[in-house]
Amino acid sequence: MRSAVLVLTVLLSVVAAREAPPNGPRRIKPGAHFLIGATLHIDPETTQADTTLLLRNGRIAAIGGTVPDDARVWDAHGLHVYSGFIDAHVGVDVSDQKGEHWNTKVRPQRRAHAIPNATAGALRKLGFTAAVAAPKSGILRGRATLISLSKRDADRSKPRPLVHGRDVYQSIGLERFDDSNKGYPTSLMGAIAVIRQSLHDGLLGAQPLVFDTEDELDALRVTKIGREFKRRTIVLGSGLEFRRIAAMAAERNPIIAPVRLPPAPDVSSVGAIEAVDLREMMTWEQAPTNLRRLDEANVPVALTTSKLKNRTDFWKSVRQHIAHGLKPERAYAMLSATPASMLGAEGRLGSISIGKLAHLVVADRPLFTDKEARILSVWIDGERYELAKPRTDVLGKWQFGNAVLEITGKNRAVLVVDKKRHKARRVAVAGQRIHLAFDLPDGALVVSAEQRGEDLVGQTIVNGERAPWGRIARRIEKISADKEDEDQQPDDDDELDHSDVPANYGYPFGPYARVGQRRPPKRIIIAGATVWTCGQDGIIADGQVDIAGGEIVYVGKRNPVEGDGIVTIDAKGMHLTPGIIDCHSHTGISRGVNDSGQAVTAEVRIGDVTNPDAISWYRQLACGVTTVNSLHGSANPIGGQNQVNKVRWGVTHPDQMHFAKAPGGIKFALGENVKQSNWGDDYTTRYPQTRMGVETLMRDRFNAAREYMRVGGRRKIDLELEALAEILRGERLIHCHSYRQDEILMLCRIAGDFGFKIGTFQHVLEGYKVADEIAKHALGGSAFSDWWAYKVEVQDAIPYNGALMHEVGVVVSFNSDSDDLVRRLNTEAAKAIKYGGLSREDAFRFVTLNPAKQLKIDHLVGSIEKGKHADLALWNGDPMSTFTRCVGTWVDGERLYSEDEDREQRKLIASERKRLIDKLVKRAHNRPHTGDKERGPIWWMKRAQHAACGLCGTQEVR
Amino acid sequence: MFRSTLILALCATWSSTLSAQDLTHKAKPQAGPIAISNATIHVVTGDPIENGLVVFDKGKIVFVGSARGQLPNGAKVIDGTGMHVYPGLISSYTHLGLTEIGAVRASRDMDEAGAVTPEVRAAVAVNPDSTLLPVTRSNGILTFATFPRGGTIPGRASLMRMDGWTWEDMAVRADAGLVVRWPNARPPRRRGRRAPTASPYEESVQRIRDSFARARAYVRWTQNTKTPKSTDLAWEAFRNTLSRARPVFFLANTYQQITEVVAFARKERIRAVIVGGHDADLCAPLLVANNVGVIIENIHRFPKRSDSPVDEVYRLPSRLEKAGVLWCLASGDRTANERNLPFAAARAVAYGLAPAAALRSITINAAKVFGVDSELGSIETGKRATLIVTDGDPLQIPTHVKMAFIDGRSIDLTNKQTALFEKYKAKYRRK
Repeated sequence: MRSAVLVLTVLLSVVAAREAPPNGPRRIKPGAHFLIGATLHIDPETTQADTTLLLRNGRIAAIGGTVPDDARVWDAHGLHVYSGFIDAHVGVDVSDQKGEHWNTKVRPQRRAHAIPNATAGALRKLGFTAAVAAPKSGILRGRATLISLSKRDADRSKPRPLVHGRDVYQSIGLERFDDSNKGYPTSLMGAIAVIRQSLHDGLLGAQPLVFDTEDELDALRVTKIGREFKRRTIVLGSGLEFRRIAAMAAERNPIIAPVRLPPAPDVSSVGAIEAVDLREMMTWEQAPTNLRRLDEANVPVALTTSKLKNRTDFWKSVRQHIAHGLKPERAYAMLSATPASMLGAEGRLGSISIGKLAHLVVADRPLFTDKEARILSVWIDGERYELAKPRTDVLGKWQFGNAVLEITGKNRAVLVVDKKRHKARRVAVAGQRIHLAFDLPDGALVVSAEQRGEDLVGQTIVNGERAPWGRIARRIEKISADKEDEDQQPDDDDELDHSDVPANYGYPFGPYARVGQRRPPKRIIIAGATVWTCGQDGIIADGQVDIAGGEIVYVGKRNPVEGDGIVTIDAKGMHLTPGIIDCHSHTGISRGVNDSGQAVTAEVRIGDVTNPDAISWYRQLACGVTTVNSLHGSANPIGGQNQVNKVRWGVTHPDQMHFAKAPGGIKFALGENVKQSNWGDDYTTRYPQTRMGVETLMRDRFNAAREYMRVGGRRKIDLELEALAEILRGERLIHCHSYRQDEILMLCRIAGDFGFKIGTFQHVLEGYKVADEIAKHALGGSAFSDWWAYKVEVQDAIPYNGALMHEVGVVVSFNSDSDDLVRRLNTEAAKAIKYGGLSREDAFRFVTLNPAKQLKIDHLVGSIEKGKHADLALWNGDPMSTFTRCVGTWVDGERLYSEDEDREQRKLIASERKRLIDKLVKRAHNRPHTGDKERGPIWWMKRAQHAACGLCGTQEVR
Repeated sequence: MFRSTLILALCATWSSTLSAQDLTHKAKPQAGPIAISNATIHVVTGDPIENGLVVFDKGKIVFVGSARGQLPNGAKVIDGTGMHVYPGLISSYTHLGLTEIGAVRASRDMDEAGAVTPEVRAAVAVNPDSTLLPVTRSNGILTFATFPRGGTIPGRASLMRMDGWTWEDMAVRADAGLVVRWPNARPPRRRGRRAPTASPYEESVQRIRDSFARARAYVRWTQNTKTPKSTDLAWEAFRNTLSRARPVFFLANTYQQITEVVAFARKERIRAVIVGGHDADLCAPLLVANNVGVIIENIHRFPKRSDSPVDEVYRLPSRLEKAGVLWCLASGDRTANERNLPFAAARAVAYGLAPAAALRSITINAAKVFGVDSELGSIETGKRATLIVTDGDPLQIPTHVKMAFIDGRSIDLTNKQTALFEKYKAKYRRK
């Protein structure tokens, strides 16, 4: 929690503030204000009706009690008073402050002091009285300050906004350089690596860390960093947290939540409907449940106006959340008590309590329940800011002599005389005053009056005669709604029924989700299939495989057993194989497969940015794939750390995809990509530009790592060298993108000189030319089956490569490097038969056991053997026939894909699509999206889902 | 006997292929009649003939039938026992010959400058000595269409055969038809790529309409006046299109693009072929009614949306087949990987298409789409003797193409890759 030091500095900052000498005569303001008759919303749980409130010297002095002599009295009858709202994050520009760190995105020492007057004014209008000014832009953006939202006067002698907390947190963004401003990091994982190194370097003091996140996955990523470094972490949310609510509930990490809502997807034409994604529609429908779901999950939530396109939409958005089940008092808490305690200001702000600062919101009706409610004023540090005049209350039917006067709108009034209706020619309502002009048969009738409760008092001119001043009408009936509104569409759908919004959805959020936890049967028996064990037992005709506890417990001839909890699957005529393993994948990597900002990025980790939502995972399951090696791209000689993943579709936390027992690895790369041959004319200066430089750079980094290891325990942690040291210690496997024989041999020599064994050569297109060296120095070669001729360095690639290397003793696999090709690795294996004449069994090991060996997980997966993970694929025919398709896939003994379930899912998807499209059409009202000119999916929703096409991130960088 | 000739042929070409890619010899013209006997003849337009005989002479098929058929005098007989004979496969959308190494600009000849360049023809830029050709050919692809690519009207496609000393020798149809890229009203946004620089939708549509209108006016004008006129090569290129002698290949994928193309083709009274056709099944009745064929470009695509069926694209061919649309399949693969075309067709078989239909999609149907079905695409008398002899189903990966004939000429099936294979086998054998 907060350190005592921090609390102390907060107190000092208030005490030490010294006022400037006055510019002119002093203005003595009354030191006390007394509000009478208001309903006080003291805190979310406590409301006190018709009471009084005494403010003195900017603080709350008494609740209840009588008016003191020195107080100015405010009539607050019928009004509702709340504790002032706190916006926990307002980004402010502090980019002019220079910093020390070599990376321009690392500026942790910057400080945001103030909020511009225009922003403060806009926030006051919404009821905010205090806010956190947080530095914008960068990764380590700087320190944030909690300050009052009072007006800053140009005259320095006027009081400055009070500071309630200095350095309340460090503002952190997961920001990267784009193509136009080259630099490191260029990827999300790079940004995370920068944060991690900075925490090791001690750059961030003791402040809590607030991370600006783009989606719900980011929220979980930054929570993980906080836990790793035992730092108090707060998530500046995305509004999409509901999509991974189970993980949010498990973490209970505090969230500063924006209230933005996605615009309605376009369903205005056949083409548009063809293009609209179910997940996008679901996100649109569920987004207003975000705050309720977070609250129900006991996640501490503070609201912010950040990330709204228009701040003025704030209340509309909050009320939408309330309409979707957020309890009004919880919304109040998210604006007051929760942010106050989250920011360590609970002693000063956050409720109407004696001794706290006089930060108040005054509204004419209950703010959280009445959509008509308006904020009339806010009080900040004892100063009142009037925001709106009290609402005209003159609407209604008034007895006007013998006639009845109906005032139905701000410019609508009718006089009913003897059942004849006369429309007013002019109506003017200004506050409590009203002016009317009628054109009656006898001549003009002009009324000027003032409302006093249920009376209208004033003067009339009738028949050219001015009647004496006095009461002219008495109200007989009130009309609350402004009749004008009836002609318009409902303001938004917050008055509509929301009971159709599904309460539950599975994981991942979107199509083909897995709903609920399924209890696996005690034992699954797959009987009658031709079993390709890929192990000692070869191919077993009419075989049987039993699964229990996620593992294979029996492999052999058919041997049916029956009993309780045993599920038998009749697989007669089918073929059962180990799940396919892809030794080179870029599936489900969020925001950047490469960090091309530097030539050496051993510190970045693919495992930091796993995206379990990518639909590509499901499509791969549907083609029998169960394990993939998720690799960094090939932009750098020394790239980032890989992550071996299991295709565990439907996990609640992204990291559950990780293959925990797989040893760590790292991507290296050689040749054209790392020397930037095909990057365009702008890229000619980064070292290395030649294959000669590649070798030099690698040797240099390994020397550096050796020297680093020599320093021993006293060393300052350097994450890049740590990873390289792990290679030297034999704890981390190199997976090296390689094409030509010269460079392959070069890395073999480095490995020999530094005494480590290489994991795999990836692509290894000229591997057949130096296969004997590869067999000696690497666990294996993972190749494309038959790609060639797309770059100069692949002119000599041949499809016989796999077979040739295999014959010389290299453990060979065929990989995909593509979200598409991975879907037919089973038939890719057949190319080793076509080109080089391998046996069927040897060829099929290219996509099962051999990649497992290369990743050092062959004791767990890769073959159907007793004790191994039950990762299986069932095929409707020979798995290497192009006419065959996968009909079922098991991961850890759980069936994550089957054609039958998939058919059910399609029906579900079809009905959900229909329901949502119907709903969208019904609510479209034929009007354009609010303020959003860009049609179609919005960037911040779309990104996580979009299937990266692999290929090492950029075209032609394979 | 068959095996020994094959091995001999390999040895003969061996020394020449060792040093560089494009040194395989061009085939000699057919010297005398050749008969393949006892093989299974997959005529494509009918049921396979078990234990059949196919005879060809002077580059044309002269007999197809049972092995008991009459052998012409002096015919060279190839014993095809256990073998299968298929028509040469046809690649209906490639850039073969126009590109060698994708990453090297100097080796790319698909994209001419300008949005409207109907005057350019692919054939004239086809490099007969491209290394890619023998590699593609060795998996049974003996005819290919090669397409220009850049701009709204990229130029004219050409239909080529996989053998010849020059591009003229290779050309089956140097002008196979005009290529038009129909714009997409909702251009897909691809992650990590800049927005396409192509002009917006309306502008492109207008450009196409203008081009056709101007070409029509030009053709009428040059016909109706006797005085010689200066020649505009762009509008000259439309003559075959406007006379309906050649189809127009419209690159179109979405529902909107396809429906607009069909409407445009009706109005202009031209023969249209859809290339791409991702949404072709959504407008199948429209295509059938208007006699518009489809070249499905690539079934190894991703489904349209994340909620689309995982096999949405794989099942597109079977849906079009069921709807009675004339369709053929293009691999959509990288040019250098065009040899995998039959395996792309096979993918559709795994997802419901009849194997015979898959075979038609890379033989006779492709020939129909290009209007050369009287010459190519099936094994029938009178057609070109362009065929392959295999040890199995060419849709299956382990199958080898054992022999190939283009217009009766025996084709060398070695290539740079087989040469490198032999070279490095030798390296390890010596150790």
